[in-house]
Formats: sequence, C-alpha cells, structure tokens
Amino acid sequence: MARKFWIGILITLTIALAGVSYQKLLRNPRCAYDGSPIAPIYEVDIILKDTSVRKFCSVYCATQWFEKNTLSVDHVLVTDEIRGNKIDSNMAYFVESELITNETNDNRIHVFQLRQDALTHAEKFHGKTVDDPFFIDE
Amino acid sequence: MIINIYTLIMLFVACVSLFLGGFLLYATIQSLVTFKTAIPAKAINTFEQKGYLLFLIACVVIVIRMLAWPWFYFMLQSFVPEIPGAMCMFGVTQILPSTVIFLQIIKPVAFFVMGGWLLCYAVDKSTPTTPLARRNLYFLLIVCSILLIDSAADISYVLRMKPLMSVSCCATFFDTPLRPSAMIPQAILGSNYQDILFILYYAVNIVLIALLFTSLSKKWQSLPASSKKYILYGQAALGIVNIPIVIFAFFEIIAPGLMQLPFHHCIYCFMGNGTVPDAPIMLGMFVIGTFAIGWMGILRPLCKNKEVQPVTERMLVKVNHLAVFCLLASLIMVTVHFLFI
Repeated sequence: MARKFWIGILITLTIALAGVSYQKLLRNPRCAYDGSPIAPIYEVDIILKDTSVRKFCSVYCATQWFEKNTLSVDHVLVTDEIRGNKIDSNMAYFVESELITNETNDNRIHVFQLRQDALTHAEKFHGKTVDDPFFIDE
Repeated sequence: MIINIYTLIMLFVACVSLFLGGFLLYATIQSLVTFKTAIPAKAINTFEQKGYLLFLIACVVIVIRMLAWPWFYFMLQSFVPEIPGAMCMFGVTQILPSTVIFLQIIKPVAFFVMGGWLLCYAVDKSTPTTPLARRNLYFLLIVCSILLIDSAADISYVLRMKPLMSVSCCATFFDTPLRPSAMIPQAILGSNYQDILFILYYAVNIVLIALLFTSLSKKWQSLPASSKKYILYGQAALGIVNIPIVIFAFFEIIAPGLMQLPFHHCIYCFMGNGTVPDAPIMLGMFVIGTFAIGWMGILRPLCKNKEVQPVTERMLVKVNHLAVFCLLASLIMVTVHFLFI
C-alpha cells in the first residue's frame, strides 16, 4: 500500500509539473484581466516600467486594469482595427460606437490609426470620438 | 434544448437511472417488507438471487450517477459557445439559475451518499452471511430517493435549457469588491484576510493530513481508546472546517494566482477554460479526500457488527489511505503551481 501511495504522489507531482510547463511554454496569450482568448485585431498591450507586457482582449479590459495600476505603466500599445498595426495609444483615435467588439464585456470602443478611418466608423455606426483612455499624467 | 453529444449522453443516463432507480426503490421497499432473518432451506436460492439482482442493479445505477457529476460540468462547458455573452460556465449558470444551483448542490450530496453506500455494500458483500443486508437496504432507500431527484432534475434542466437570452460576463459577479467570497472572510479575518486565509489553508490541510497519517501508523493500535476517539473526532471536525477554508482560498487566492489573473476570482474560469489544465484534478482530489473522511464516518457506525469487524477495519484503512492521498495530492499540486509559475 505504501509503495502504491508514493507512486501515486509521484504521478500527481508529474501532472502538476506538466500543468505548470503547459502554462509557461505552450499556452496562447490570454487577456490579463478576464482570461479570455485575445483576438489579434483588438489586442491591447500595456508595457510596464519594468518592461514586462500585459496583453488584453479589448480596450474595456485594458482600461479596467489600467485604472488600478496606472503608476506602474510605461506606455500602452493599441491595435488599429483596419490594418492591424500596433500603435502607441497617444497616436491613436478612439471611437465609441454601437458596434460591439466583445459581447462578453460589451466593449464599444474602437481604435484607429488614421483620423479618416475613425470618422468613417463613427458615421457608419452612430459613434463619437472619445479621449485616450490610457492617458498618463506625467 | 441544446443538442450536442454531452446533452444526449446526460439525457440518456438520466432517463436510464430514473427508470432503474424507480424499479430499485420499488424492489427495495418490497425486500424490506418481506425481509426475514431466517429463511426456509427451499427458498434460500430464490432469496439469494433476488438480493443479488437488487444489489447489482443498485451498483450499476449508483456508479453511473456518480459519474454524472463531472459529466454535468463537461455539459455546462459545452454550452458556453452556444449562449450569447457567456465566457465561461458562469454565463451558462445564469440561465435557469435556480435549477443549476439545485443541481450543483444535489450532485455532490448524491456522490457522497452513494459512495458511502457502495463502501457499506462492499463490506457486507465480503461476508458470506451478509449480516448488514437489512441496514444496507434502509440506506439504499435514502440513496434511491436522492438518485431519483437528481435524475429528474437533470432531465428537467436539459430539456428546458434554451440559449435565448444574453448573459453577463463572470467578471461582473466575481470581480466586484462586494463579492461574497471576499466579504465573508473579510468579516471574520479582517482586512488582511487574504494572507491569513492562505496560512489557514496550509495549516489546516497539513494538520488534517498529519491526523489522518496518525490513524494509519503502527502505533495506532497501541493508543488508548480515548485518544483514538479524540483523534477521530479531530479528523472529522477538521475535515468539516477545511471545506469553507479551501473554498474561500480557491476563490480568493489560488484561482487568481494560478490563472495569473490577480483580479479575476472566477472558479468556473479556473476549472473550465484551460488556463490551468490540471485545475479539475486539483479540485477533484480535494473533494474525494474530504468525502473519504465522511465515508469513514459512515462506515464506522453502519458497519458495526462483530461478524464484519475485521473487514470494516480493513476497509477503513483503505479509505483512510484514499483521504490522505487525495488531500496530500491536492496540496502538492497547488504548491507546485505556486512555486514554479
């Protein structure tokens, strides 16, 4: 019985180590706020002062996290919905419209690199431009 | 009704267990009414065959029903893509909430009671005269009642489940500052509750495992009866106290820590979305370990009979081993994750 017991514990240990390895090496990035999968077109990356990166599935989740951790944030990269380019949030145009990007959290804030794209989207989906939600007061 | 392989299997299992459970209840009542301690030699064969059939059906139905508990969560997970707005099983639980809450309570209760009955039956079966048959039949009546309620609730839930409404994300419930999993420990342990809870989680589990090891040691037989009694009561009491501590620790510290989402306290995300692939094993080990302590509590009074005493003792040692193993395994898994993540 004792031998079986310790073999069982060894198997458990192996399963736990395999689980940790999977989490560290294989798992695709997930939203650092709610754990949902990240669609590349809506990805928001928050770069911290220690150069580590937090990835988010939407502007909503990133804002929620940002509000609680503003002091540790260096800058924020958002993704242009049209081209998929990653740009600094200071350079981006944000539009709040009727179109939802993520049904789970009801995110309606869209990101654009070009002003014209933002205006076209706002007109098409009854939206309005909003301020950068990731503004860092120096 | 949402039709997929999970619901079809669940419905089939529930229908079969409802039918067999109904028959089992009727046959058990009939056996109890006609139960005789002394049987004429001519009727022994028929009596034995009837009893054998009854207990065989009971074992089959009970094992199926016990497996229906984890299957229920597989089924809930399969509904996630079907329901608008659902990100994890929490979203699914927002549809027919009272039925889901009822099912989430009755399933562990059924698992515990059925497991206890199977162990009592195993003890009785290993003796040729089956001295506990009558007691097991009374116990089977309780098991049948729970089994029928559980099966009927499953059928009702699967048939009424329709993905017609949009549900909210788990973050709106689990991540608010006023969530019950934070408010209750905070009210008891104070504002620094997370650290205290984490220490309590390890302390209570380690003491419980140590107590369970004590009753397995070679010195156990030489201990005075009063000390044995205190240790056994201590195991049972700590086993009960450990339940809320582990639940709150999982919600508040372990799940967010292991998912690497410090603000996300959803146990359904932890269990089902694959962020921590071995999370269901971690939780399952804790559940079986805790239930095994309860099963020892069922075996001791119900299998108290001179004839089966040695078999009961052997069974108690096995269940004790199971409890130690499962609780230790769960604790090791949590620790390994915290150390290496």
